[in-house]
Order: sequence, then C-alpha cells, then structure tokens
Amino acid sequence: MSMLEITDITKDYGASRALHPVSLCVEQGEFVTILGPSGCGKSSLLRIVMGISEQSGGEIRLAGKRIDMLPPERRDIAMVFQSYALFPHMTVEQNLRFGLRMKNVPKAEQQTRIAHALDICTLSGLTSRMPRQLSGGQQQRVALARAIVMQPNLLLFDEPLSNLDAKLRDTLRHELVALHRRIGATSVYVTHDQAEAMAMSDRIVVMNAGRVIEIGTPLELYRSPKQAFTAGFLGQTNLLAVTASGRRAQLPWGQTVDLATEAIGPARISVRPESIGIHPDDPRTRDTGLSAPATVTGVSFMGASALYTVSIGDTLLKVSHAGGDALIEPGRTVALTFPSRLPVLEDRGEDRGREDGGHAAEAA
Amino acid sequence: MPASLRDRRLLLPLLLAPGVGYLLLFFGGPLAAAFIGSLRLEDGSFTLTWYIRIFTRPSMLRGLGTSIYYGVAPVIVSLLVSVPLSLAIRRHFPGRKLFSGLYKLPLAVPGIIVGLMIIVVFERGGFIDRAVAPLGFGLPKLVRDDWGVGVILASVWKQIPFMTLIITSAFAAIPEDIRSASRTLGASRLTTFLRVEVPLAMPGITAAVLLTFIGSMGSYAIPDIVGPPTARPLSVLMVAEFNQGRFPQVFAMGMVLSAFAVAVLVAYYSLTSRIGDAHGRGDAR
Repeated sequence: MSMLEITDITKDYGASRALHPVSLCVEQGEFVTILGPSGCGKSSLLRIVMGISEQSGGEIRLAGKRIDMLPPERRDIAMVFQSYALFPHMTVEQNLRFGLRMKNVPKAEQQTRIAHALDICTLSGLTSRMPRQLSGGQQQRVALARAIVMQPNLLLFDEPLSNLDAKLRDTLRHELVALHRRIGATSVYVTHDQAEAMAMSDRIVVMNAGRVIEIGTPLELYRSPKQAFTAGFLGQTNLLAVTASGRRAQLPWGQTVDLATEAIGPARISVRPESIGIHPDDPRTRDTGLSAPATVTGVSFMGASALYTVSIGDTLLKVSHAGGDALIEPGRTVALTFPSRLPVLEDRGEDRGREDGGHAAEAA
Repeated sequence: MPASLRDRRLLLPLLLAPGVGYLLLFFGGPLAAAFIGSLRLEDGSFTLTWYIRIFTRPSMLRGLGTSIYYGVAPVIVSLLVSVPLSLAIRRHFPGRKLFSGLYKLPLAVPGIIVGLMIIVVFERGGFIDRAVAPLGFGLPKLVRDDWGVGVILASVWKQIPFMTLIITSAFAAIPEDIRSASRTLGASRLTTFLRVEVPLAMPGITAAVLLTFIGSMGSYAIPDIVGPPTARPLSVLMVAEFNQGRFPQVFAMGMVLSAFAVAVLVAYYSLTSRIGDAHGRGDAR
C-alpha cells in the first residue's frame, strides 16, 4: 500500500478546469517531485493534498486513511511554504513549538524534538531570534525545522528554494535531500526548476496545463522520455520530425538513425545536444555514421562545455561538446554523428510552454 | 549658494521650517495661548483657580467622568461589532462589494445628524416606538437616559465604519500563507485566529481603538443632543462656560481634556514599543 494515494483529483474554477483528473501514488520514504511550468496546476494539487484548498472531485488517502474531507489540522501532513510563512511575532523556538503545542505533545518530547530539529537544520544559537532577524536561507531552514518537528506522515514542499540565490539554492538542495534520507520522511516537492527536480527526486511527475504528462525516475525521463513535453522541459533537446519505418527513421536531411521503439510514418524524436557527436576535423569523411555537411552558425561557451548551433539542411540543431578543446568557430563545416536507440515521442502535452529546449529543430 | 546657507547650523532650521514652523504656528501657538489663558485671572494675574474648580466642583468632576465614559463605552461596543464584521467582510459572499461600499457611509455623516437620527428613531414616540406600539411593546428610555445609551448608540453607529476599515486592513495585511501554515501545524480556525491573527493585527486594532476613543471623548454634538441633562461631559460643559464668557475656564477644561488624550496616546506608544522590543525590534510586518 502506498503512503499517499491520489485518485482522480480535479479542481474547477467555475467553468474552467484547473486540474484534470490527476492520480498519483507515493511510496513510504519516497521523494517525489511535481515538475511543471508556472500555472500548470502543481501548486493547486499540493494545496489540495494539504487541505488548504478544496478539490472539486476525487479522493486522497494517506497511510490507508481517507483524508480529503478532513481539515488541514487533522491530516498529519506538514508543509514548507514558498514564502516560508514563519510567524513573525514568535521567536525561532516559539515557531518550532507552535505545532507541538497544538498537537499536545508532552513537554519533554517537545524539547527533544526541537533540539533535534535545530541540530539537523543547523539553527542552534538562533533560537531566540525573530524571523525578521534571519537571512533568507536561515528562514528557509526554520520553516523546514518547523515542519519536521511534527514528524508527519507526509512532508510537502511548495517551491521552498525559489526565493534564494543560486548558490544557496544549490547547497540547500543537497541538504534537503540528505535530510529527507536521514529522517526517512515521505516527501512531495513542487518546483518549476528541472535541474532541482532531477537532482533531488526519486521520481518526477511532469505536469502541464492541469494534467500529468509523464511519471518516471529522473534518468528514465531524461534518457527515454515518452512525451514530447517531457523531452523539451527536462534539460535541452532537439525535437525532430522524422519519417519512421520500423526501427529506422529518416531525418529531415536524409540521414537515417536507429529508434528505441518501432514506429511507422511521421514521428517525433528527441535528440539531446550532448548525444550528438560533432567532428570538425575532416568534414569530407562520408562514413556510414557521419552526416551530410553541416555548418556551425553560433557558439556559446558554457565553461565545462560549448553549445553550438549547427545548421543542417533546413534545420538548426543544438549540439553540446564537452571538454576543453578549442572552440569551433562559426562558419566552419562539420560532420554530425547521432546515437542509436533514439526515443520516439507522443504528444500529450498540447502546449510545450517553454521557448528553449528543441525550439530550434521545430521548423523541420 | 550663499555662504550662510552652507552653514549646517543655519541650514537645518531653515529646512525644517516649513513642517515644524507650520505645526508651531497653527497647533503650538493656539495651544500655548490657551494654556496661558487658563492660568490667568481677569486682571491678568497668575492663578490655578480654573483647574481647582475642575477637580473640586461636583458637576465638573462628573463631567470629566462622563467624558471618559463616553470615550470608553462606545469603543468597547464598536470593537465587539467591528472585529466580527471585518472577518465577515474578508469572506466572499453575494453582494460583498455593495456591502463593503455601504458600510462606510456613516463616515460621511456629521455627528449632529447622527444625533438627530437617533432621536427620530429611538425617542419615545419615535420611529421604532410607534412601529412596535401596536404589538403592545414600548421602547425603554434610550434617548437622554441616565446611562447615555443614546450617546453610545450614536457614537457606535459613527465609529463602526472607521474601526472596521482599519481592522479589516490589519487582518488583510496578514499573508494567507501564515494562516495556512498555522492550520497545517494543527491549529483550528479559532486557534489560528486567537494565536496568530489577533497578535499580528494588534497594532491596527489598538490604533483604531485609540483614535475612536479620542474622537468620541471630545465629541460635542452627540452628547449634547442625545445625552442626559444630568451628566454632561466636559465638552458640553465647555460650551456652556463659553456661552457665559468664562474663557479661562474653557481653556482650562480644554487643557485637561487634551492632556488626558495625550496621556492615553503616550501610554499606547510606550506600551507598543515595549511589546515591539520584546519581539526584537521594530514592529510586526
């Protein structure tokens, strides 16, 4: 039995539907991220699970018990808010104690839990501070500590890192996952940041326009996405329209590639920029794997790699090349090699929502 | 720039003059004049007679008590109505927009009109009395009664919109997430209200209480029209003295009323700044 079972949850605002029937199971101890662009319904879903927003239909079970008609205070769920939502009129310690007092936890037990939470969130020494005297990162950790002292069946995170600067976000991301493992909590984490989702999650639930598009581990979703939206949203990719015949497909400029699954007729595939080989040295080589001549039209140096825009036929491709080699200047002719077993995509998410990630190849 | 203007000792008073000068001229000046006037006999010699009269004459002492009573009682009643009202306005209900426009209407009605309205509606033989008479009921004495119910009714009617306006915005300033966080931590709706929302809205609530208190303590028209003839507040007695031409007495009474109002304000600020200190520094968000 799953820890959290969400069955056909919907949310309507008047005549417009914000959430189409969403179903999701989260196992005990799992860290699941709900990923999607803003307005995709991910926060609505989280708030419905918490009970601070009401669903229009469907069922939620936590540890086997139906909770969707309970008020939030009786659900045994704790939540970390994007705004932290610390009580501004209470000290750090009073903030942590608030929930324990509400749940009538004995005094001695309160003390142990608070001390433990302060310790693992590295907040010792700040107990008598007011929230406004803390930095953003410290406030975020207080919000986290306030949730974990409750020792809930389920921890919910609503984009808790999005108000922090990039470096702090990176550190706290790792701390958060380590903490999740240590306390063994079941967590659902909402974010629009695909890097965050991939770095933290056991599984990712990709949402768009009020629907679940695809669910899988970060590796599955990145390497072999089934949906065009997933391929475009998780990392960068080239989405190509191809003509398939069985396990082979012909690219717009005539070259053929291997597919991971069988398909017949027009199909869409995703090719990651880093999986395309770029060979500047001998453009006239016409081995089986090498393409027709392509031209580098742009280059951006990213530090660990370089991202090239390459024009081949009528198509612009993104190609990333790792390593400290000399950059290939724009205008050079290059040859491209493609990996085998490329994933064939379905198109369930009607609107891809993002400008980058495969947009270049869309013209084909 | 002339050299004299570059001198900071000169520059500072010059820059402050438009603000501080205005206050000194139009507030400090009359106040000082009234204060000096309250300490003078007809012939211009110094005296404390006018103050001694306020604190020894039974009618004056009663007036001071009545002023405080007319200040406090309506505020308590208004507060009991305004807090639930501001919570109700926060929720969505049909006609909310119309209602939240309409409830502010009394703000625009002058006190004297409110007094007359109370007479027309609540006086014996008035609107309600005649309406319930066929049913065999009679209205108790509500206008010019000993407890000043009429005064309280009129003040409350006038205060509620103002109080509700301030208290509503005090509650509205509390982020929705903080309310939700309290619920997720196991607090019921009521506990969230008492433990989280009221403390956070407290600066707004006390401000509303003080401002209405000072306003109704000094009001003249309402107690004069609907108050009992036996207990008249200082404001009404002041006008009576004024009509008899005893200006020093009027000044002295005015000083006492002002001193009381200022004392309440100072007490409020020292109290809130102490609470602010206990919370760290500055005030709640």
